Amino acid sequence: MPKASIIVPAYNVAGTIRETLQSLLAQSFSDLEIVVVDDGSTDRTVSVVRSFGDPRIRLVQQPNRGLAGARNTGINHARGDYIGFCDSDDLWRAGKLAAHVAHLDRNPHVGLSFSGSELIDTESKGLGLAQRPRLRGISAADVFLYNPVGNGSSPVMRRAALAAISFRPAHEPLRDWYFDERFRQSEDIECWLRLALTTDWVIEGVTGLLTRYRVVTGGLSAGTARQYASWEALVEKLSPLAPDFFARHAPAARAFQHRYLARRAVSSSDGEEALHRIRAAWSSSPRALLRTPLKSATTTVAALVLGALGPDVLSVFARAAGRRLA
Amino acid sequence: MLKIAHLIDDTTAGGVTRYLDFLRQDPRLGRQADHQVIEVKRNRPGGVPADADIIVSHLAVSWAGLPGMIALRARHTGTPMVHVEHSYSEGFAALNVTSRTRFQCLLRSTYSLFDRVVAVSDAQAGWLARNGLARVDTLDVIPPMVDLTALEDIAAPEGPVRKIAAIGRLDRQKGFDMLIRAFRLVEDPDLTLTFFGEGDARDELLALAEGDSRIRFAGFAVNPAAAYAGSDLVVMPSRWEPYGLVAAEANVAGRRVLMSCVDGLQDQAPRGNPIVGEPTVAAWADALTRIAGRPAALAQRPTAASLRNETITGWERLLDVLTNQPAEATAQTA
Repeated sequence: MPKASIIVPAYNVAGTIRETLQSLLAQSFSDLEIVVVDDGSTDRTVSVVRSFGDPRIRLVQQPNRGLAGARNTGINHARGDYIGFCDSDDLWRAGKLAAHVAHLDRNPHVGLSFSGSELIDTESKGLGLAQRPRLRGISAADVFLYNPVGNGSSPVMRRAALAAISFRPAHEPLRDWYFDERFRQSEDIECWLRLALTTDWVIEGVTGLLTRYRVVTGGLSAGTARQYASWEALVEKLSPLAPDFFARHAPAARAFQHRYLARRAVSSSDGEEALHRIRAAWSSSPRALLRTPLKSATTTVAALVLGALGPDVLSVFARAAGRRLA
Repeated sequence: MLKIAHLIDDTTAGGVTRYLDFLRQDPRLGRQADHQVIEVKRNRPGGVPADADIIVSHLAVSWAGLPGMIALRARHTGTPMVHVEHSYSEGFAALNVTSRTRFQCLLRSTYSLFDRVVAVSDAQAGWLARNGLARVDTLDVIPPMVDLTALEDIAAPEGPVRKIAAIGRLDRQKGFDMLIRAFRLVEDPDLTLTFFGEGDARDELLALAEGDSRIRFAGFAVNPAAAYAGSDLVVMPSRWEPYGLVAAEANVAGRRVLMSCVDGLQDQAPRGNPIVGEPTVAAWADALTRIAGRPAALAQRPTAASLRNETITGWERLLDVLTNQPAEATAQTA
């Protein structure tokens, strides 16, 4: 039995999964298995995975169920006590698994161990940007407001913590769910928040930017409305569980969510959407936005400039500032 | 005969009071020891008889209560002390604790004053042990019990599930708000949902139920047996529940319990009680829809004696350990 399993959900990722698997096989902690869940790919994903011929890689295939469904299948096939996740276009630094295993070994009350992330582009080059969340003393409110876990390739979880949040919807004959498969977005944060609100497992980070998280910039922002809707669906789903918690924190969390989507809209040069989002953010909770005034101000100015003068102007500013907008 | 002083600071008609009545009155326990119940002022435990051989705290643990606990320990240095944890559990901590470090420090400090800590369910014990709140070698699990014999004679429900009962304090803990929202989504005119209990959340629940004549509030059940007899199914959508006596009662009364998957309820699910794995309105509405109209009877109805036995043997074992402990300690140091 390997000590750790890494779940790699894979859907039409023939172009990126090789590098992902190489980064996982290169982990300094080697008592691991990699469970690749092919989620009904129609490209060469499966043959790329098979071409490794490494016994530590196990391939599970299923008809498409989405990211949450692929992760759930992976968890159900995993044999390790520690279960990590790496999306099939992200990369792990060689010491990542070792750091999380040591962290979980040392701290039996920690159920989810995460790390900071370095953001990389399509060429796997660092964008000079990072997710550096707070690592300790994380409450359910922190999870809801700031999502310190960051992204779906960051956490390594203890099997018992996953068991504590497992459930079996009535229409599901095959296996338990951990991530809610009805969500096509926001499934990560829904899972971490449910862990925080229904169990006493601690969510805690280890130092270092151990995940290399790929962001595809310049994409369409058409998805922001859908992404926002799924975030509201998660609030609606979990609110009856903890009404006081959501009454207290939802306005601020909503403001941050809108601001985040405004930044996304800015980076895909959609001025109209950016303005819409940043207005919604300010009307949700000005107080929350003023907690991180610089971030709120830059997002607001960027949205206003982009909305008033068009995308070309903004890229001139960005170049002048020597930074990319991500 | 062994004299045991059970300390209680909350004598409102709740589970703990009824549990202590049971301990005091059970004949088998009475053969081993004399169980006395002593009411103490909140945060100021005292008045323990000088000849008590063992002190058992059923007190609420709080920072305000810690000095009183320390004083109690100091006054009775030579007397074995046991704490029974009735209040706290993983589900409680997840939803109510803002400073985990402070909360755990309180529990560790308080429990360290006692020779043994008694958890009321395996799930609660697992949580205490996992977080290092109580030492595993001083931790026991004894499910609380009340006299259930009156419930054994109730006829098993016949026919399909129609009358649903929710029994307990009208309090946020019990999740009745979520239950009403879910029940209203089930468009079955033959179903009724009756609440037996009183509490602070009454007005909120009444407002949620307004306009749905299938939902009734019957007030505090003076005769619980009648409440069980008049129902086909009992529901426990609790947000946390260190043990959940209602589930034991309902099962002895031949009723199944549709329950949330929290804390001590997990211990009680294997008696044939269906679990709602997700704490959401949709999942509860779905579960209620599925169970409505299905045969109501519990397949294997437990006897009062079988449940009682677990509690009694738990106490017998614990008292044995405590009364033999000084001898062992002497032997080790000798």
